[in-house]
Amino acid sequence: MSDKAVVIDPVCGMEVDLHAAQDDHRVAEYHGTTYAFCGRGCLLEFADDPERFLDPDYQPSM
Amino acid sequence: MSELQIIDLPVAGMTCASCVNRIERYVGRVDGVSEASVNLAAERARVAFDPTRTTVGALHHAVEAAGYRVVDGVAPDDLDRRRATEQEALRRRWVASLVLGLAMMALMLLPLGLDQRALRPILLLTATVVQVWAGATFYRAAWRAATHLSATMDTLVAVGTSVAFGYSAFVTLWPAAVVTLGLPDEVYFESSIIIVALVLLGRWLEARAKQQTGSAVRALMGLRPTTARVIRNGVEFDAAVDEVRVGDRVRIRPGDRIPVDGVVAEGSSAVDESMLTGESLPVEKAPGDEIIGATINRSGSFVFEARRVGTDTALAQIVRLVTDAQGSKSPVQRLADRVAEIFVPLVLGLAGLTFIGWLVLGPSASFALTNAIAVLIIACPCALGLATPTALMVAAGKAAEHGILISGGEALEVARSLGTVILDKTGTLTVGRPAVVSVAPIGGFDGSELIRLAAGAEVGSEHPLGTAVVRHARENGIEPPPSSAFTATAGSGVAAQVDDHSVLVGTAEHVGAHGDATTLADGVALAGATPLLVAVDGAVAGVLGVADTIRPEAAEAVGQLRALGLGVWMLTGDRRATAAAVAERVGIDADHVIAEVRPDAKAAAVRAQRATGLVAMVGDGINDAPALAEADLGIAIGTGSDVALAASDVTLVGADLRGIVTAIGLARRTGSVVRQGLAWAFGYNILLIPVAMGLLYPAFGILLNPILAAAAMAMSSVSVVTNALRLRGFEPPASARAILHPSPAARLADVGYLVAIGAAALVLGGAALVLANPAHGTTDAGASVQRSDRQ
Repeated sequence: MSDKAVVIDPVCGMEVDLHAAQDDHRVAEYHGTTYAFCGRGCLLEFADDPERFLDPDYQPSM
Repeated sequence: MSELQIIDLPVAGMTCASCVNRIERYVGRVDGVSEASVNLAAERARVAFDPTRTTVGALHHAVEAAGYRVVDGVAPDDLDRRRATEQEALRRRWVASLVLGLAMMALMLLPLGLDQRALRPILLLTATVVQVWAGATFYRAAWRAATHLSATMDTLVAVGTSVAFGYSAFVTLWPAAVVTLGLPDEVYFESSIIIVALVLLGRWLEARAKQQTGSAVRALMGLRPTTARVIRNGVEFDAAVDEVRVGDRVRIRPGDRIPVDGVVAEGSSAVDESMLTGESLPVEKAPGDEIIGATINRSGSFVFEARRVGTDTALAQIVRLVTDAQGSKSPVQRLADRVAEIFVPLVLGLAGLTFIGWLVLGPSASFALTNAIAVLIIACPCALGLATPTALMVAAGKAAEHGILISGGEALEVARSLGTVILDKTGTLTVGRPAVVSVAPIGGFDGSELIRLAAGAEVGSEHPLGTAVVRHARENGIEPPPSSAFTATAGSGVAAQVDDHSVLVGTAEHVGAHGDATTLADGVALAGATPLLVAVDGAVAGVLGVADTIRPEAAEAVGQLRALGLGVWMLTGDRRATAAAVAERVGIDADHVIAEVRPDAKAAAVRAQRATGLVAMVGDGINDAPALAEADLGIAIGTGSDVALAASDVTLVGADLRGIVTAIGLARRTGSVVRQGLAWAFGYNILLIPVAMGLLYPAFGILLNPILAAAAMAMSSVSVVTNALRLRGFEPPASARAILHPSPAARLADVGYLVAIGAAALVLGGAALVLANPAHGTTDAGASVQRSDRQ
């Protein structure tokens, strides 16, 4: 496993270091997939309505 | 239309543009907010709101609910830290004053061959520092009271020590004037310093007692875990406890602390609830069972649904109640306050009278002055002010230890003078949940095999009767076997394939019973239970009786309440026959049963009982809430509805009915401790003021000098506080017998403590008298009987 595993925050579209996010409890499981977030706000936003952000038509706000 | 207020909130934790949207949305939703704009770079939220419709606190909450922090919030433990600093300052002051005071006393009393007059300027310097530094609190408080045209205990201390100090300073600075005026050539620096030291010592002890209950609250807060594994809309993540919402599912693994209150949804486990209920055995939890935050999961894993979060949790309520009880004033305390209001001016008057009286009639001005100061000091009603709050604080903390939440001093006062306790039946005397009460196999079928198969068939059932069968099996160590082809028919029963047997559980018609089986079922129904028939492979194998069970401790609790001399009644909406059967089993007299009462008539039934004296109502349901509110003391079973909890004065967190006895027992002990304290404090003042005034002097030559008065006063404060602290040793009565026949040791301890402390005070006082009297007071006053020193 590489030192830096960069994933995309599904809510805002930012790049997030998965390991740092895991250490920081900024990750969530949904239907067996792990998602990482830039901050708590995005995580909570995702938990409110996950399908909205996983919709291919969704445009991240930045 | 009121004016809009604009505020900038510094927000921490924002990382991206969606954070901005989220905070704007959450804050904008608050009623009264007209606009919220968040600046990511500046980490600020600018909010325009109507101050008449919302508060800054509500805005903080909205930001926090969104998952962020407002930076300038005052941390709750700031208060604790400030108290600790204050306490430390108090300690430094009393220690320093006492050491200096005692050193001065030694210098002046011991035959060291020093020139007393040469020493005086040094004494004056030291005493001035102490008087200003250590005595400042008294002057400030006395001044505050004076601006409101009232006088407090601080007024007494301030006036008393200032007179002693001022006179001594005058003697030191203008010795020539003293000679020309014919005043006594004496200084009282050590008296004023020691008085200040002893009063501060009393305050310090009081602060420590408060802090001890404060640390009990902190210990409770420490029980709350900081994170929770939350499943929300299928998304599973680690959340801060504050982020958990009502309706979230929370996953609990073995050894986890439960973060919030809720109801088990999946899985089962044993949970240690001892920190809240005092019950040491872990409690089995299955789907549908209530889970309380701060308790510890033992072995199994489960998921529960959050029902109460944040300040609504049982733990948060305990913390609030303990804190409220510390701040609340009981009726007795208010009486003490009113007494002090009259008492202080009266004492000031008596001190003046003493001074003038002895100036006219007495041997010298010194004599008059010493006695007047002694009156001021002895009268300081510190003990009076300490008696009630310390006892209430200790009692509230002690009650919380036993899982009893008391809403304040008033509830304790009522609890100790109760005449009648009314118990609701369902959910209070009974568990409020069906359980298997009888197992009758038919045709030589094995009893445990019957249970095993029935539980296997019911394992997928959500019906309360079905879960009762499954729970009964598990409680008897029988694991329900896996089943297939489960079908449930509402109102009749279930069918399933268990271990290659076709099993039916339900009504007589459902299983196709006739003959012996129906007779057995009718018998079960007559005994007040619901019959569940079990058929295995087409033949009826047995009848299970399912009924709401009486709590195991109900009879003992009723027995203990009766031993306390209370009238115990049962109130229920149930049929008279069922009610009578329950009443008989728990030991309530048949003529003390009020049955067939409609929910809306329960309050009226309680009101009728109030004609005979103070009434406590114990209940759990929403339908009990009006009755709880109507009663003089509403006691809610903690696993009950929120409405019931809100309407109650006392809450039993655990469902153990003996908690009622514990609460009443503790209230009675607290009441007697408060009264002992007040009697001690008042008696001491009433007794010693005339002595200090010198009324005994003409006949017996007995006087109190100021140092002795200060020591006696501190002693009385200490004895009152330590007496209250004895409540910490309170243990709930073990049985009704223990209430009716308390052990002689317990009785002795009660009276013995005050007698012992009184004796100790006498010995100390006697020793002080011997030490102090040669210095000032009788002997030297007697030697200077010449003419009065009036101008």
